Amino acid sequence: MSTKRCFHCNEPVPAGFHFSREFDGSTRLFCCAGCLAVADTIISSNLADYYRFRTEPAAKANAMPDSLRAELANFDAPDVLADVSRKQGELTEIELSLSGISCAACAWLIEKQLRQLPAVHQVNVNSTTQRCHLVWHSEQTPLSEVLASLTKIGYQASPFIADKEEQQFKAELSRFLKRLAVSGIMSMQVMMLAVALYFGDYSGIEASHQGYLRWISLFLSLPVVLYAALPFVNSAWRGIKARQLNMDVPVSLAIYYTFFASAYATVFNTGEVYFESVCMFTFLLQLGKFFEYRARARAREATGNLLKIMPVSASLLVNGQQQVVSARRLQPGDTILLKPGETIAADGDVISGQSSADESMLTGEYRPVAKTIGDKVLAGSINHDGLLEIKVTTALGASRLGQIINLQQRTLSQKPAVLHKTDTLARYFVERLLLIATATFVLWYVWLDADRAFWVTLSVLVATCPCALSLAAPTAVTCALASLNRRGVLIKNSAVLDVLPQLSHIVFDKTGTLTEGRFSLSSVEMLSQQYSETEALNLIANLEAYSEHPIGRAFSGHLSAELSLQDVHIQVGGGISATYDGRQVKVGSAAFCNVKHQQNAMVYLSVDGKDIAAISLQDALRPEVPDLLGALRRQRYQLIMLTGDNSAQADELQQQLQFELMVKGCSPEQKVAEINKLVQAGHKVLMLGDGINDNPGFHAAHVSVTLQSGSDLSKNQADVVLLQPSIGLLAELLSGSNQAQRIVKQNLRWSVGYNLLIIPLAVAGFVSPYIAVLGMSFSSLLVVSNSLRLLKK
Amino acid sequence: MSVIYVLIPIAILFVLIGLTVFFWAVRSKQFDDLDKEGFSILFDAEKNAPPENNDKPQP
Repeated sequence: MSTKRCFHCNEPVPAGFHFSREFDGSTRLFCCAGCLAVADTIISSNLADYYRFRTEPAAKANAMPDSLRAELANFDAPDVLADVSRKQGELTEIELSLSGISCAACAWLIEKQLRQLPAVHQVNVNSTTQRCHLVWHSEQTPLSEVLASLTKIGYQASPFIADKEEQQFKAELSRFLKRLAVSGIMSMQVMMLAVALYFGDYSGIEASHQGYLRWISLFLSLPVVLYAALPFVNSAWRGIKARQLNMDVPVSLAIYYTFFASAYATVFNTGEVYFESVCMFTFLLQLGKFFEYRARARAREATGNLLKIMPVSASLLVNGQQQVVSARRLQPGDTILLKPGETIAADGDVISGQSSADESMLTGEYRPVAKTIGDKVLAGSINHDGLLEIKVTTALGASRLGQIINLQQRTLSQKPAVLHKTDTLARYFVERLLLIATATFVLWYVWLDADRAFWVTLSVLVATCPCALSLAAPTAVTCALASLNRRGVLIKNSAVLDVLPQLSHIVFDKTGTLTEGRFSLSSVEMLSQQYSETEALNLIANLEAYSEHPIGRAFSGHLSAELSLQDVHIQVGGGISATYDGRQVKVGSAAFCNVKHQQNAMVYLSVDGKDIAAISLQDALRPEVPDLLGALRRQRYQLIMLTGDNSAQADELQQQLQFELMVKGCSPEQKVAEINKLVQAGHKVLMLGDGINDNPGFHAAHVSVTLQSGSDLSKNQADVVLLQPSIGLLAELLSGSNQAQRIVKQNLRWSVGYNLLIIPLAVAGFVSPYIAVLGMSFSSLLVVSNSLRLLKK
Repeated sequence: MSVIYVLIPIAILFVLIGLTVFFWAVRSKQFDDLDKEGFSILFDAEKNAPPENNDKPQP
């Protein structure tokens, strides 16, 4: 018990802090007023069970600022609410995305808290997707109050609009579960009966018993064939209609041929039955498909609240009065008011005020762009520290942000086609298999033995049953997905595993991808001996804590002790001044601090007019980048950097990292054009980026990768999401896909080899049905266990 | 061995009951969030239940 930890969030309690509360008979300590307030609310509303049963500590809570309350109130405007929710009679239905959920106990806590509100009719929290489905009486309690009651217990909620695709995914997933249950449970039953039949064949069985067991098996296989196997039939049918044989054609053929042959044998009491093979085969294939689908559904749910990028509401100024309206309904000519920290709702011109804006998501420029009267602002960028009045020139839909989203949808259809290799193989295999089977039937029927023709043909089809072949790729892919996921690489589109081994070019975005995408200290120059470096940085950090500006955040890690400041004053575009210990302290630009400009330095500290320190800031390179690029270069990948940033930093990075090609000042359209050039030259291209301006490029490239820290829109669009804040995972992705490719090849070689061996024997009539089934099961098992090797390590 | 004429249909009946329950569980969204459902048993005690006297230390 050397360090004291916060009872609520388990973070260390800073020395000198004395927040505590009685709970369950002992005194609990808290790290901040926010956590204490949350714990107070939880315990006093009889929800203390949360603390007794939770498995993970909660996220650190912040005291609810008044600005947040005002922000939440924006959602109460009728047309904004109508945009984010659905009406159900007099009730309103909404989907919320929650942040701060750390374990399942949180879900319970949130449900309980919301049920205490009389207006709430129905609430269901999903702790894995961090979403909440809420039905409530919106006239009785406004949405802002519902959201505020969640903030009181330490969770931030915002409205969410799920895309249509996601809802389809959900419905499909539960259908998958049902089919899986039917084929799995029925397989067990039929298997059990099959064991009895096997033993019966050796030790003798009464004909009536045998017939009975077969009929029961037939009856039990019916739901598998008629319900669980339907997706294969549908897909095969779609393939045939498009005149393309896919892997599902031999699969459905095998399932139905084997089933009908066995049914024939049962009805006419001749030959052999293979019901257990039908069921097992369906179950195993279903299982692979289910895992793949679930991984994709998870990925989709994990990605992005699109609402967070598209601004929802705006403050419209009508005759000097503020009025909250839906951002989508803004018209050119409207005047809107923009407060610090807000997302700009439409493209427009500044008509009064002064501030700076973060446009990095749209342009790749990481420095804040100063905005004053007459400047243009872009929808989707974030206003930093000043109050602005803006005359809307373009509505949201036609804004730069809207254009980028449209461009992205257009490029979606241009996505280079990724052919599933196994499908090509399947086509080849199925054509020949059908020919051989027909030839065998004709051969036996006409020349050899007409009575045996049917059974020999069946054994050809069963022995060559494309089990192993059709399991070869899916099982390997499923295992590779799972193992990469465990390492922090989330693959949303499994087809990328086919392309990655042939990859030749890797395109990087700069800001936020190769670099951290935010300011950090690069050098501190002390101009006076009055303070030590740590003291000076601590002083700056204390002042900057009052600012919304991104430069301020660079110092937050240097806050070592809290100082009491008076008369804090922020000058937009200049800096912050305060009185500390009776002295006038200023942090900000050279002009603001009244000091001489130093080379490169961006932030100055002065005390009583005396120069103390000059600090240079930089968007630092991610520490893992040089190693990663070195490793990629050794593997002979061509590395390219396309950046929207036009500053000297792009050239500096080029100096340092030596890309084969570097283009700076790229618009999203230019990025697409550059990538298209590569694709047309026949190269396989991977694009790694994080901003909205990279998204159109995502569809132009064969494979797109984004980071967890990327914009929500990027995460929604990319094929692969790296879940840890390290792009070193790219190497994992590449090696993982190479490994998967190797396993698929081994599997294919084995199953093709086995088929080549067994076909001549089966055609000649040497393969009895038992051997056919044994060989088939054995080769499938081998393929599955080979794929499982991917899960190790 | 004629007992199998009775026992197997009974076994099938159980299988069908099991499947029905599973379908119901899927339909009532119990598989959407496996973590939460596991916890529900701990919490269902209503608030007038006597407070537990556990002085388990904080993890």
